This record gives sequence, structure tokens and C-alpha cells, in this order.
Amino acid sequence: MSAPPPRVTHGPGEPYVGTSVPRVEDQRLLDGRGRFLADLAAGALSVVFLRSTEAHAVIESIDTTRATDMPGVVGVYTGNDLPLARDYIGSLHTPDPGFVAATGFRMPEQRLAILPVDRVHYVGQPVVALVASDRYLGEDALEAVDITYRPLPAVLDPSASLAPDAAPIHPHLPDNEAGRIEVEFGDDVAADAVAVTVEGTYRIGRHGAVPLEGRGVLARVDGQRVSVWTSTQIPHLVRQGICEATGWSVDAVRVVVPDVGGGFGTKANVYAEEVVVPVLARLTGHDLVWVEDRQEHLVGSAQGRDQVHRTRLSVDREGRVLRWEDDFLLDIGAGGLWVAGVVANTAIHLLGPYRIPRVRLRGRAAFTNKTITAQYRGAGRPEACFALERSLDDAAGRLGITPVEIRRRNLLTAADLPYAQPLPYRDGVPIVYDGGDYLRCLDSVLELLPAETVERLAAEHPDLTIGHGVGCYIEATGRGSFESGRVRLTSTGGFEVASGAASAGQAHETVFAQVAADGLGCSLELVTVRRSDTDLVRHGVGTFASRSAVLAGSAIRRAAEQLLDQATGRAAQLLGVSPDLVKSTASGFAAADGSSEWEISWADLATACAPGGAQEQLGPLDVVEYFHPETVTWTMGAHAAVVGVHRGTGAVSVLSYAVAHEGGVEINPQVVEGQVIGGVAQGIGGALLEQFRYSPTGQPTSTTLAEYLLPGTCDVPDVQVRHLGVATPCNPLGVRGAGESGTIAVSATVAGAVEDALHGLVRVSETPIRTGPLRAAAEQIRREGQ
Amino acid sequence: MTVEDAFSPLAQRVPLATTVNGRPVTLAVPARLTLADLLRDELHLTGTHLGCEHGVCGACTVLVDGRSVRSCLLFAVQVEGRSVVTVEGLQDHPTTGRIKCAMARHHGLQCGFCTPGMLVTATELIDRHPPEKPLDEACVRETMSGNICRCTGYQGIVRAVLEAAADPATGTTHEG
Ligand code: FES
Ligand code: FES
Repeated sequence: MSAPPPRVTHGPGEPYVGTSVPRVEDQRLLDGRGRFLADLAAGALSVVFLRSTEAHAVIESIDTTRATDMPGVVGVYTGNDLPLARDYIGSLHTPDPGFVAATGFRMPEQRLAILPVDRVHYVGQPVVALVASDRYLGEDALEAVDITYRPLPAVLDPSASLAPDAAPIHPHLPDNEAGRIEVEFGDDVAADAVAVTVEGTYRIGRHGAVPLEGRGVLARVDGQRVSVWTSTQIPHLVRQGICEATGWSVDAVRVVVPDVGGGFGTKANVYAEEVVVPVLARLTGHDLVWVEDRQEHLVGSAQGRDQVHRTRLSVDREGRVLRWEDDFLLDIGAGGLWVAGVVANTAIHLLGPYRIPRVRLRGRAAFTNKTITAQYRGAGRPEACFALERSLDDAAGRLGITPVEIRRRNLLTAADLPYAQPLPYRDGVPIVYDGGDYLRCLDSVLELLPAETVERLAAEHPDLTIGHGVGCYIEATGRGSFESGRVRLTSTGGFEVASGAASAGQAHETVFAQVAADGLGCSLELVTVRRSDTDLVRHGVGTFASRSAVLAGSAIRRAAEQLLDQATGRAAQLLGVSPDLVKSTASGFAAADGSSEWEISWADLATACAPGGAQEQLGPLDVVEYFHPETVTWTMGAHAAVVGVHRGTGAVSVLSYAVAHEGGVEINPQVVEGQVIGGVAQGIGGALLEQFRYSPTGQPTSTTLAEYLLPGTCDVPDVQVRHLGVATPCNPLGVRGAGESGTIAVSATVAGAVEDALHGLVRVSETPIRTGPLRAAAEQIRREGQ
Repeated sequence: MTVEDAFSPLAQRVPLATTVNGRPVTLAVPARLTLADLLRDELHLTGTHLGCEHGVCGACTVLVDGRSVRSCLLFAVQVEGRSVVTVEGLQDHPTTGRIKCAMARHHGLQCGFCTPGMLVTATELIDRHPPEKPLDEACVRETMSGNICRCTGYQGIVRAVLEAAADPATGTTHEG
């Protein structure tokens, strides 16, 4: 095992940003004192959901009489029993008109019912909600709900779903197209310039976030207000979803985020349960809790990926890319409130970190009768990366150059960057990669994990045939429109920080405290970061798309600086000196005029602005800032893997892995590294193990963790990470997002290594990688004694 | 619970006497109540987490008579007369204390949902490891393979367990 990473420790007077201060969260989590959603359930009645057992069907009748009479049952509710202003949840993202104009982006309005009364669209869709004294009795009673379905043909193949004669799955729409995009630029390529053209079909299987903690919602009614605790990444969007569906005013709903046991995108979504539980709390007058179980999660929580790319890549004799074409298809299942995001992400990230003069991309998203989807870590980027990187490997093979060499010849270098693409980003702002030197990432990852590692590992593992692969990715991070940050001086002279970006394990309590302490010039111990609560910050967006450090971090930094500025004025006033004589210290302020010295602590300032204090009329020191980035900032990286394919079984083991990424300033290097390593682990899951499978009639067959396989301790090797920081001018902290960097290139990299291990006898064009063909190739290699 | 509920066979309660974190516990529980739900809902020991409720993820791991078990797969009545220890009960256990310090140092947790289960499994691994067998990385990875972490990629967890195993005296950094 390699040595632990060097620790960047914090010295007196130095900024906290850039140092791996220990995580504030750890102590309570290690002691078993975390407060996750299910831990708050005491005293609440249980809500349980009856979910559709049909992939596609008309609901002929629902009879709740028997269930209502069951022991412990408080009430049974169908969609007809819910007083809703609107019975569906609206889209969470609408692209900018400039982007729409440039890309022909289109999407229809989705209206998947919160609790459907006439038609179901996927197995797992909630249909009936039941309130009972406990979950055991509630689940008993669910079995007594009598529901009759008239099955309709289930559409599971996105191409069939988009066929001209296919019946629309959603009756309010003319067809099954959930979104479309088209991007084209560059001049036609002269035929004689092309040395090699490769065509391929690449499939990225349906997999998803599957956080270890499922979802859950707790609602309490207090007078006119409802407070909702939910295991979410986006509390303000949940509040918006609840208000739009119920017609309640935003002032009547408070959304609070407890400790969240992982999110990765599936919790950056607004769900029917998040509307139904508070509505039923109002109806029944009881505190209510719903805690998702794993089986519900695997059929009812948003999934991801599930794309097919049909590609064509042309290169010249030197391996330089001349033309890149891709026609891709996304299966978003019965619905996806982020379809615009995933479609646009896929198209944009197909441009890669390379010089590509001629591009032609078309994408379509299709409705099918599978579970709903959202943005799973990467959200279109890993899929785009897989298609492009696999095509590059193919072209390299045909030209007789190495995968490393073809990338070396096409990657953007310091001479090219910043690099403008002839296309606006999703926010309408022209795309400019604001990086430093992308080629350096490739060189760097090869230093960490050179191709020669194969020989050493081959000697150690005679039962495996070993190969090396590389993959590069680009990632737009820190998307707007804005995020909030609030910093306030508490009555005891400490600081409380809050933001709309909820934490699901990203150590916000630590990193936002670092940012605030630097902005305030105070010691870290004075700062406490509160969990996200719409009562603490009235406006916010949430944590997803590698945006929190960039946006919330910047908002908090500005709020802290403003508070310091205001406080400096107040300190000067209290001391009776001019503000320019006042200096901030770790504990407050000091002033000197040559002969005398004064000091005033933050606690003194807090007392001064409290009732009865000298500055009572100035009010509390409490600053809210919104940070609106001009546009995104780009992270780039290169991955390398050494894998072994078992000669007898074809099973793939990832033996060694490395990532070199060009991020920005790291607020807490250890936290960033953890994000990258954890991202690689999820990427390995997607490449080798994870898949939501469906029977031909649309029955999900991956409904336990014994069938939906998450990577375990023996599936993930140590990952070496090298951070090549290039600060960005896009935000006051100079940070770039890193939450998805670990995941994006894994499938492409592992696939390349598998092909190398099998001497090119197989082409890997889908994930999860099937071991059958690998075994045959490994067998052939063994026979030929290679 | 309403009056009729008390007569439901489903709600029939069975007397249970057991020990949890060193304290005797005597109560009547529904026969079908799982050990995990007893700990979490009746005894309010919410440090034991439920990640799957079907025996795969290991988040619910507790010790029963010193051996790790999945509390989601046991009925509460099965621990009659036994001694149950949860993460809360390991608060003052020196091995667990060392693992915790090492976990924090090595970034062995992010969301922390898997952490209590990891700590229980790792504590058993270190405490009951036969001295003649090497407690190396392969051994740690194999023993912990029934505990899933979705956040960390395991690197920090494995390092932390190795470090805690290597230096029982101080728990200070062990380079290896
Ligand atoms: S909750 Fe018991 S093993 Fe997952
Ligand atoms: S830290 Fe989140 S599951 Fe392990």
C-alpha cells in the first residue's frame, strides 16, 4: 500500500483555504450520533406507499375499504384524496434561450402524476399512500388495498419508443420524445485528408447513485406552517416543488436537511413523496414520516445513464481528429425532471478536451416504461466520455499508434488554452475552456501509473492477463444561476454560516467554515456551519453538478468579507478611532495610534449590537450574499488504469488506478481527494458491476443489493490522485468543481485497459462490461501461449 | 395504537430479556420486530443504520455475544439472554477509539452512514484476529468486504483499520 497523502496542515496566521483541516463532521458520525432522516422519526406515524406493480397500465379501480379497516391504519389516500393545486412536479431546469437557439434544443412538458389515478408508467411508481401507527402495520395494510390494472404494452426500448408509429406513453403528448438537441460546426473535411474513419455503437448501461441511505421525508404541522425534513441535496427546489403542487405559499413551508447519507444526484430531485407526506401531515394533523426501504429505492428513486451512442470519428495520418459525429439516444424512463440538463451535458461534453475542427452531434431522449431518471454523478459526461474515448482508442488501433499517443496529438495544450468552442454553454454564454494545460494531465497520470506497470503486475498475478488504459475528460463545473451564503455574528461572538447548498457527505461543515474563517480573518473554531434550512437562507439552489464549492463557497466568502467590512466600521466607532487604524485579529479587532492600543473582541461587538448595547440601532451583523457566476469553469483530467482479466472466468479486476486532474484552488485538499477517489469507486461500479435490469415486460429485476451490485472493498484498488491546480478567475476563491471528476472517465479507461489486456481480441463497447466475451479471448490467449 | 389493534395477532407481543450495551433490557416486543428496529425505534439507539434491510450492506452490523451480526436479519426475540453491543456501546472501547481516530485522519468517512457498521466490523477484526495470521491489507479488505461504503472508495477505511491494528499502544501514524 502506498504512503498516505502528505498532509497540508494549518499554521498560525495562514489562510485555512488550501489546508486539510480535520473534518468537523467526523466526531458525531463516528460516535453514531449523526442525525439522519430516519433518526428523527420518533413520535411520528408512518407513511407507506403502495407502488405500481405494472410497467404500463390503466388503473381500472382502487378500493381502499379493506385496508382502511386494518389494525393501526389512520387513513388510506389515493391521488383523488389529495388537495393539490397541480398534480405533477415541474421541470427543474430550463435551458437558456441562447442555448436553445444555437442547439435546437426542445423538450415537452412532463406531467407524471404525483399519485396517478388513471394510468401508471413504471413499476415502483407510488399510487396509494397509507398512514399507520407503525411501518409494520402499514405494510400489512398495503396488502389489503385492492387495485385492478389493465396492462398496456410496456415500452422498454428507446428506439422503439421513438418509432413514428409508437403510441405515446404520456397521453398529453404527441409522441415519446422527451428532448432533442443538435450541434454542428466546422467546415467539411476533404476526403483525401482522412486516413482512418472508425464507426461504433456504444452503450452505457442504466445505473445510478444508490446512496447507502435511501430517501425519507418527515413532516410536522405547526399552526399554518409545515416543516419538512427530507434527505435531499436541493432543499429550496423541494420547497418550490411542494408549493407549486399544493398552492401553499413559500412562507408556509420550511424544508430542512438533516444529515444525508450520500446523494450523488438521485437526491437532487423533487419526488412525489416529498409532496405527499407534508400534504398528509396537514390532512391528518399528525407528524408523519416515510423512510424509503432499499427495495423501494431500487425501483422508485431516480436512476441514470442508459444511453446509446452511434459514432463516427475521422483522423488524419498523424492521428489528428478531423471530424467527430455522434447520434445519441437517452432512455429517461417514465420521466426525468432534469432531462434538459442531461441532454445538454451529453452534447457539450462530447466536445472533449481536444482540438476537434468539425463536429456533428444529434441527441434525442425517449420516454419508456422504466423508472424515472435524474442527474447521476456526471450526468451525461461519463456517457459522452465513453463514446469519444472509445472512438479514439479504436482510431489509434487502426493507425497503429498507442492510445496515449493519439491523445497526446489532440489534447489542448498551454498554447491552445483558453480555448473557445463555437457554441454557447447551457447558460447561453459562449464556451471557453479556462484551463491551463490539458496535456500536462496526461503526462502526469502516466508518471503516476506508467504503462510499464503492466509487467510488474503480470509477474504478481499469473492467473490474470494484464492491460493498461487511459482516458481523458472535461467537465463544466459550478453552474449557476446562483447560490446563497449567509454569515452572521452570534450573540456570543461566534459565527454561523448557512447556504442553500446542502451537504450529503461533502464536508460542507468543514470547508465552508474554512472559507468563512478566511473571509472574516478569524479562527476556525469561531465558525459553525448550519445544515441547510430554508428558514436560514430564504433562497438557494442546491448541491449537484460540482457546484457547491464554487458557488456556495464564493457566496459565503463574499458574505464573510462584507461582514468583516461592516464590523470594522462598527469597531472603529466603538473605539472612537478612524476605521483605517483598525486591524482585524483572530479574535476580533485591534487599533493603535502610536501611543495607545485598544482591542475589541467579536463578543464585544455582539454585545454592542444586542438590545441595550451601544450599537443596538445598527442591528445585528448578518449578511446574505448571492453569488451569480458569469458562466461555468472547466475541470479537466486524465485517468489511467491497470486491470487484470482472469484467464479462467473473464472477470475483470482493477489492480491500480490513477487520476491527474486540473482543478482549481482546493479549499480542503483531503476532501477534494476523497471526492475524486469516491468518484472512481462509483465509476468502477458502473463499468463492471452495476445495472438496473428489466424483464421483457418491464419488471425490474435488480431489486436488492444482491442483484444491483455495488463495488466492495475487493473491487476498488487504491487510487493515486495528483492535483494540478490552476486557479480560475471565474470566482473569488479560484476554485473549480471536483465532485464528478473521479467518475467521468472510469468506464472509458477501464474498457481501454481490458482491450489492452486481451491484446485487442475484443472490442469493449458497452457497460457494464460483460465477462463472457472476455473469457473467450482470455482463453484464446492462454491457448496461444501469449 | 387503537383498542382493536391490541387484539391483532400481528401486534402480539412477546416478552424479551436481553442486555444492550451492558444494560439489562426487559420489554415486550412484537414477535416479528427485527433487532435493528428494536435498537433504533424502541431503544432509540440510532447509531445502527439501515442501508438495505436484507443483509447485504453491513450498515446495521452490531455485536451479539462479541460476534458481528446484521441486526436487520435477526428478530429481536433471537437475542433473548444475549449481550448486544452497538456503536454507542463501543464509545469507550479502546480498539474502536483507535479506529475512529484513524478514520478521521485518513478521511475514511464522507456521509458517515456506513461508518457505525464499519467500526463494529473493524473492531471485531482487530480484537479477534488470530495473532499467527498477518493482519495485512488483503485481510482487511476481505474481512470488511461485507460492509458497503458508497462514498469513499474504501481507501481511507482500509488505511485506518491497518493503522489502528498496527499500533495498539498509541494509535499514532503508522507508515506502511
Ligand atoms: S441493513 Fe442490514 S445488512 Fe444492510
Ligand atoms: S461514507 Fe457514505 S457510505 Fe460510507
